[in-house]
Amino acid sequence: MLVSFNWLREFVPFEGEAQELGDRLTMLGLELESIDDPFEAVKDLVVGHVVECAKHPEAEKLSVCSVDVGDEVLDIVCGAPNIAKGQKVPVAKVGTVMPDGMKIKKAKLRGVKSLGMICSERELGFSEDHDGIWVLPENLTVGDRLVDALNLERTVLDFDITPNRADALSILGFARETALAFDLPLTLPELNLVEAGGNASDEISITIDDPALCPLYQTRIIRNVETRKSPDWMRFKLLAMGQRPISNIVDVTNFVMFELGQPLHSFDLDQIEKAAIRVAPAPDGMKFTTLDDVERTLTDRDLLIWDGGKPVGLAGVMGGANSEMTASSSNVLLEAAVFRPGTIRKTARRLSLPSEASYRFERGVDQVLNTFALNRAAQLMAETSDGKVTSGIAKSEPTPWQDRTHTYRHARCMKLLGLDLEPAFAKKVFVLEGCKVDDSNKEEWKVSSPSHRLDLEREVDLYEEVGRVHGLDRIPAVLPRVSKSLEGGNVTADTEYGFVRALKHWGMGAGLNEAINYSFVGDDDLDRLNLPAEGRVAIANPLSEDQNVMRTDIAPGLLNTLKNNLAQGNGHIRIFEVAKKFIADSESDTETAEQLRLGMLLYGSRHAADWPWPQEDVDYLDIKGHVEHLLDDHLKLKEPDCVLVQDHPYLQPCINVLVKGELVGFMGQIRPDIADFYHARKPVWLADMDAAKLWDMVREQKIRFTELPKFPPSRRDITVIGPATLPASAIRDAINEINVPLLESIHLVAEYAPEDASDERNLSFRLTYRHPKKTLKDKEVEKQHKMVLEELLKKLPVRI
Amino acid sequence: MSDELKTFLEGLDSLARECEACKGQAASLSELEEIRVEYLGRKGRLAQCMGALAKMPNEQKPEAGRKANEVKQIMTSLIDGWQADLVRAQDEARLKRFDPSMPGRKPWAGSLHPVTLVMDEVSEILVGLGFEHASGPEVENDWHNFEALNIPPEHPARDMQDTLYVSENIVLRTHTSPVQIRSMLAKKPPLAVICPGKVYRRDSDLTHTPMFHQIEGLLVDHNVSMSDLRGTLTAFVRQLFGQKTDVRFRPSFFPFTEPSAEADISCVMCGGEGRNKDGSTCRVCKGTGWVEILGCGMVDPNVFKAVGYDPEVYSGFAFGFGIERAAMLKYGIGDLRMFFENDARFLEQFA
Ligand SMILES: [Zn+2]
Repeated sequence: MLVSFNWLREFVPFEGEAQELGDRLTMLGLELESIDDPFEAVKDLVVGHVVECAKHPEAEKLSVCSVDVGDEVLDIVCGAPNIAKGQKVPVAKVGTVMPDGMKIKKAKLRGVKSLGMICSERELGFSEDHDGIWVLPENLTVGDRLVDALNLERTVLDFDITPNRADALSILGFARETALAFDLPLTLPELNLVEAGGNASDEISITIDDPALCPLYQTRIIRNVETRKSPDWMRFKLLAMGQRPISNIVDVTNFVMFELGQPLHSFDLDQIEKAAIRVAPAPDGMKFTTLDDVERTLTDRDLLIWDGGKPVGLAGVMGGANSEMTASSSNVLLEAAVFRPGTIRKTARRLSLPSEASYRFERGVDQVLNTFALNRAAQLMAETSDGKVTSGIAKSEPTPWQDRTHTYRHARCMKLLGLDLEPAFAKKVFVLEGCKVDDSNKEEWKVSSPSHRLDLEREVDLYEEVGRVHGLDRIPAVLPRVSKSLEGGNVTADTEYGFVRALKHWGMGAGLNEAINYSFVGDDDLDRLNLPAEGRVAIANPLSEDQNVMRTDIAPGLLNTLKNNLAQGNGHIRIFEVAKKFIADSESDTETAEQLRLGMLLYGSRHAADWPWPQEDVDYLDIKGHVEHLLDDHLKLKEPDCVLVQDHPYLQPCINVLVKGELVGFMGQIRPDIADFYHARKPVWLADMDAAKLWDMVREQKIRFTELPKFPPSRRDITVIGPATLPASAIRDAINEINVPLLESIHLVAEYAPEDASDERNLSFRLTYRHPKKTLKDKEVEKQHKMVLEELLKKLPVRI
Repeated sequence: MSDELKTFLEGLDSLARECEACKGQAASLSELEEIRVEYLGRKGRLAQCMGALAKMPNEQKPEAGRKANEVKQIMTSLIDGWQADLVRAQDEARLKRFDPSMPGRKPWAGSLHPVTLVMDEVSEILVGLGFEHASGPEVENDWHNFEALNIPPEHPARDMQDTLYVSENIVLRTHTSPVQIRSMLAKKPPLAVICPGKVYRRDSDLTHTPMFHQIEGLLVDHNVSMSDLRGTLTAFVRQLFGQKTDVRFRPSFFPFTEPSAEADISCVMCGGEGRNKDGSTCRVCKGTGWVEILGCGMVDPNVFKAVGYDPEVYSGFAFGFGIERAAMLKYGIGDLRMFFENDARFLEQFA
């Protein structure tokens, strides 16, 4: 909301600086954004006097002028037809930057030098008028800056208005707050409406179908108006408020809206059929052309203004093309109404037609002030158009305004705010805000809130006013004693947040960088990974096509991160992310199942630096090692089982990871054709773990201490020569199946696969034997070990 | 003294002298070992002398033995001394070649995202003040995200947050406040929860990303006042941004709190002066000396009604805080978009 400083001071005699006002109002809840000069763009223009004006010797349409600009007389060539000797004109001297950014330079036009430019209103952004140069009033002083000579507003404050403060959408509203803040008197503009006889209520009938949608609709009639340019004072005020002046009829409605906050609309009375106005919803599917000449399809939730035969306006949003005022119109039907805010908002939103008017209607306008606004507009319209205002008002008010009365308990208010103020202070605040206060019952006052403060709906809203005017910033700081039961309280470690945090700290400790990707991706990202189209949670109004669906898989985000990094030349990528994936679920009250995942991606060299490490790229054992490290070493779940699975949408190989028979995730290599899209030239290894399941498993298990062995182990290595297709785990499992009570553990210690691509490979295992109660003798170990070897040879097609 | 004894003793003396003359002959420990073997070895020269000792008459043995021991000790200490010298020389030579500037063999270094770091720090402070963690869905229904929070469908307050919709009734949560609703529905007061997490808005420009992180706090009990809110937030921002940080409360509007306030903190860049040391306007606070950091207020009675709490019995406060904004202030990150580009060179800077 822009607030012209001088306009405001017509209502309230504030003598301080604009910054002081802005700071104070900020602390009252009207946040100052900036203070600007609305006429910054024309600040270097000066008033010139055309002392000579002669035809250009070479060009018929040009004039050569001598222009007195106070300290010098400049020769300026001017092309405007209306230039004449004796005029006062706006002059841009050499060096002046025009509103469009052009800098005025010394010029020669058809051989005649020109030291500046005489400007039109359009060139200075004052109107669309480009018939010629702007002829200024006679009485201006030559050489004065234009902004000073015309007494233009130089200070406009821009405030950010929260949706509750409908009252602050006018100069009057700001004047009220200023008066409240600085204890100043408030003066409303004087009304001098001259009525010309007749009776509007006889000429126009008004019907409201549903009072809930329109509590008040009233009109005045202004006859014999002449549509023309508004007077300068009005135009300059509108310009200062960022509103381009159009014509007196339109400008008056805008002016009163800015001044009082009441949007108004002018119909061409002669287009209103049967002298009737009816406020009623549109039939579903009806077409209606608004005054911007766009045909719009309406629903039965849009409210229309009808005349005796047809719709003439979209209530509170925009008038109709069929009834708008034109240059040749001479009679005005001026509307001032109150509409149901939600209805206006819905229509304006659905049709994407936000306007200053709908903005105010959807927040709520002051029903009591409505008549004053109508009268003031009628007066100004008559004055600026030489029209005559018909006596009386045609009006329907099915629901007259009634002040709302609330209980106010001062002691309770003080308790909620944490303040200790005199009741008299609260009373003063309410009275200054226009409330009526009945404090005959000291404990429970009755406070009636006025029509311009629609936000004062409940007792607690009154508390806010007391706090706001006293200053929320003056509330003392007290550390609360958080009273809560010590039983059943959640320590962070037991919460989802705590588990996620533990996973993240593991990731960091394991040498991975944490990434955070958007939860949404594009359908393309999912399609590329051959992920199913079913079950996707699509975003109805995405910002872009690459953010139009919630991710159903953790991989697309990680792969995009990989791509970004490769584009930046980072070739050693090791990232993880703990985030949710989203699957449509009709059972859920949010229609979505959200699954917490831990994703990891490894790419490129195994080590961050070339030295002193061998230059090797990550492979399956790296990603698997991370998974094992997480599950086995960190979470203390059992060592996982890894099972090769076929036909995964985007991994090849793909390995399912199981703990105690339950699937807890999968890992593998991104298929090269897919990796190619992400510009990955080396294998991309990815793991995707079900973090929610892991959390369940971790919560179920207790870590128990195992006594340390007291007697020394005895170790034997065996090298098993077998088919290359025989998994290491098969050998290990086979040995485990042989019932050898003294065998404590088996570990792979070496792999030798001959380079000639032979069908065999050698795997060396270390077997550890130990007796819990004594030191084993060599002979005992040998006996056991021999049995292992014999049994193994029987079970598997291997040699030792 | 017999000649025999005399010769024996002289032999030992000359052995000692010969040994002494070996000084400097050994250039390495192995050469020195050869000398040691020659004189002191099992078949060395001292041992050979000792062979004669056995044949001596018994009365001469003590003296001969003493002398032999003496010479053995002399030679042993000589050779030990040379050995020490050699070792020292070798150590010195090795130290001269030792290059302390060679890069180390580092383990992999991981990192946490700055959002995680700030979220953790904020959480820890609030947990220390007595709050507990709560979490909830990121895809929410309209009731939890809006209606229960006193934001009816046609209310202009819906414009305060540009919403990403899944369907008419399902949205990506625009704030973490629905978790407050779910927490209150699940539990009776007293209640003190914090809800950190991802939130979504239909907004993308230099200062907005369509996803960002919030942490919200809610405390409900008998007699909770705005003073308590202020105390909590003051303690909180001082722990996060330093003990000199000031907090300013400005009246504002949130549909789910009444009264509502924006809390500003004194600018951490310019110390609340509004100007940098060189006199230029502070970029972070745009010269005001204050930085908007969180929204807060007393829980609106309509919210209590929505979850079945009696507003006449309970009061409470709530506050919400943007993590990225705090991280930008804390680490001096200028560009919001960097948070979600995940450039390794960015990520590696935090731990
Ligand atoms: Zn600053």
